[in-house]
Amino acid sequence: MAVKAESIAKRYFRKTGGANYFYAVKPLTLEIEAGEVAVLTGRSGSGKTTLLNILSGLLAPTEGKVWIDSTDLYSLDDKSLSRLRGERIGVVPQGRSAIDTLTVLENILLPAKLYGRPLPVEAASRWMERLDIANLRDARPAELSGGELRRMAIVRALAQSPDFLFADEPTGDLDDENTNLVLSAFRDYAHEQKKAVFVVTHENDALQYADHIYKMDGGQIM
Amino acid sequence: MTMKHFSLSLKNLLRKPGRTVTLALLTAFLALAVFGGSVVVLSLRSGLNSLEARLGADIILVPSEAQSKVSFQNMFLQGTTGAFYMDAAVLDKALEVEGVEKAAPQTFLASLKADCCSIKIQVIGIDPEKDFTVQPWIARSLTRELGDMDVAVGCKVEAGMGEIIRIYEQRCKVVARLEATGTGLDTAVYCNMNTMNALLAAAEEKGVSHKIESGDAVISAVYVKVKDGCDIDAVNNRLNSHIRKVAAVRTRSMITGVSDSLAGVSRTVTLLIAAVWALAFIILLLAFALIIRERAREFDVLRLVGASRGMLSRMVLLESSLCGLLGGLIGVGLAALLLFPFAQLIESALKLPYLMPDVGKALLLAAGTILLSVAVAALSSVVAAYRLSRIDPGTALREGN
Amino acid sequence: MKKQIVPAIVVLILSIVIIIGSQTFLSPCVHEDGSFGPCHGAGQMLLGLGCALGVLAALSLCVERARFGVYLSSLPVCVLGILTPGMLLNLCRMSTMRCRMVMQPAMIMLFSAALLCALIGAILTARKKA
Repeated sequence: MAVKAESIAKRYFRKTGGANYFYAVKPLTLEIEAGEVAVLTGRSGSGKTTLLNILSGLLAPTEGKVWIDSTDLYSLDDKSLSRLRGERIGVVPQGRSAIDTLTVLENILLPAKLYGRPLPVEAASRWMERLDIANLRDARPAELSGGELRRMAIVRALAQSPDFLFADEPTGDLDDENTNLVLSAFRDYAHEQKKAVFVVTHENDALQYADHIYKMDGGQIM
Repeated sequence: MTMKHFSLSLKNLLRKPGRTVTLALLTAFLALAVFGGSVVVLSLRSGLNSLEARLGADIILVPSEAQSKVSFQNMFLQGTTGAFYMDAAVLDKALEVEGVEKAAPQTFLASLKADCCSIKIQVIGIDPEKDFTVQPWIARSLTRELGDMDVAVGCKVEAGMGEIIRIYEQRCKVVARLEATGTGLDTAVYCNMNTMNALLAAAEEKGVSHKIESGDAVISAVYVKVKDGCDIDAVNNRLNSHIRKVAAVRTRSMITGVSDSLAGVSRTVTLLIAAVWALAFIILLLAFALIIRERAREFDVLRLVGASRGMLSRMVLLESSLCGLLGGLIGVGLAALLLFPFAQLIESALKLPYLMPDVGKALLLAAGTILLSVAVAALSSVVAAYRLSRIDPGTALREGN
Repeated sequence: MKKQIVPAIVVLILSIVIIIGSQTFLSPCVHEDGSFGPCHGAGQMLLGLGCALGVLAALSLCVERARFGVYLSSLPVCVLGILTPGMLLNLCRMSTMRCRMVMQPAMIMLFSAALLCALIGAILTARKKA
């Protein structure tokens, strides 16, 4: 079980400037295996988030292919790709990602609910307990702090038991204690349940939990 | 679309009550106009049809002094009382005229206001054997003939079956309540000629004179049916020249007058509906565009957790349809609360025959209006839903940051 | 707390409309010669019921202790208001008369709305007690 990126690149058209396009991600090849935590670091604007979006099926690359096992991700139509994302890929995005009209628990169970899968209530409770937000299950997102919202998003991704977990700056709003809580949860998830975890971060704390470390600069992996 | 999405949409609506109610009220406005307008137009149409059916005659003969067509027309359209008399011999003279197939007399009498109803009531005497205009209508509610001192009352006269009403101190028994016609006929009381003669005599004693210079027997109008194939205008002219002091009036002119007014009202209502429709549609279109922008982050999240473009579009359509449904129900409900209890007020204000649709028809119309509201609400969110489906989830997330 | 007095305020407004209406725009028929029609009694009764309803609504606003009971006692007053025109007391004998065309439907609607509000008020106050 693996995600394989084969000579992928993302090119954007530029409205001004000399060249009429620029590369956010320059052609690169990358493989993330199950059972491992891969950490991608790099400065702001180095293309980390773009790469994560491409790998997680959210953003089509302009060149190359992304394989999940033997499936060419971007050859799928939107419906199949969405279903595959919902079933096998978990994403923790940057910023707020809660639906305000739902409670915390409802937000966490949303991915399963969308496709009418059995609700992973037990897994949700377990992860909420572990990340210390169990007391917030019936709260509304508006009542939560930034760190709590972030952990909610992480539980939402973990509770679905995705084969591939992608987290974009998951510890950005967290204090040291919670940062360690989250990163150890990722490591245990990858190692014990044999899943692939891909974390984008600029914090050095994350490096000690990593099985693989990638560094990105100017759209290239160093 | 599974129940899961339905419950998600429902939660979205319930937990943003302000937004939901605003959208619903916009559609309610539309539903109110459509339902209200169409009920009024429909009622006017059935009123006209009913008037045509009840007139049933091609030509009406009245004394020339009553010929001021207006007063006669008012009797029919608005039920104002009138009394005018001519020699009963006019009936036989009319039957002699070439082209006349049938002729039937009617005699009118206005009751005293103090008598029964604190209002003057139009009493109409008919000859059940000869009458071909009112009798078929009475026969629908009364299987036997009107006996002496029996009366049939129009639906707007509030007197129950078997009740005794007094007209010029004469006791008359209500033996039938007639179906609504939406015309002035609904406010009248009907009796046979014997009863009418007794009432005329009683009125005479009270000092209400109906005497004419010649003859004892009096009638007020003769309804004439022209033989098939005969030119009605020609018969009309012959009647006018053959019988003295009598005016022949074509019923067509009366109906044309009504149908002209009806066309005017219909046009106004249609314009009004169209204007409200267009306005509501544009406002809804803008509202949905704004709401979708406001909810961009929410849709990004849904995309993130695996919702497909189709799912999002369906969710938006479902939510807007539910708003439309709610709005339709509110609008139709409000319209019904105004239209049905105050039907009589509307009729009096319009001064035209006005016959409300029956329950079945009204329900059908209500269902149609609600369906239309749902369709309009859904349609106005289609653009927003389509634009939503074009956004790449990754791009959207990037833009959200 | 706030929720409980909203129905009382609405009922108070409705009763004021009923009282003013019964004397002006919702009045029973008056003949050209100034004499009263048979609907006059119904009009007087509606005025009385409107006053009673207004007093009850004012009571439920002022006396918090009595609120639940006052809401409940408003219910029969409203029912009487609905039944008065045409059923308990006579109106004129013609649908085209003012009392049947305007007063009856409007009064039935006003008293029905008041009934609904009093019912909601009663439910809200009962819930708080429980």
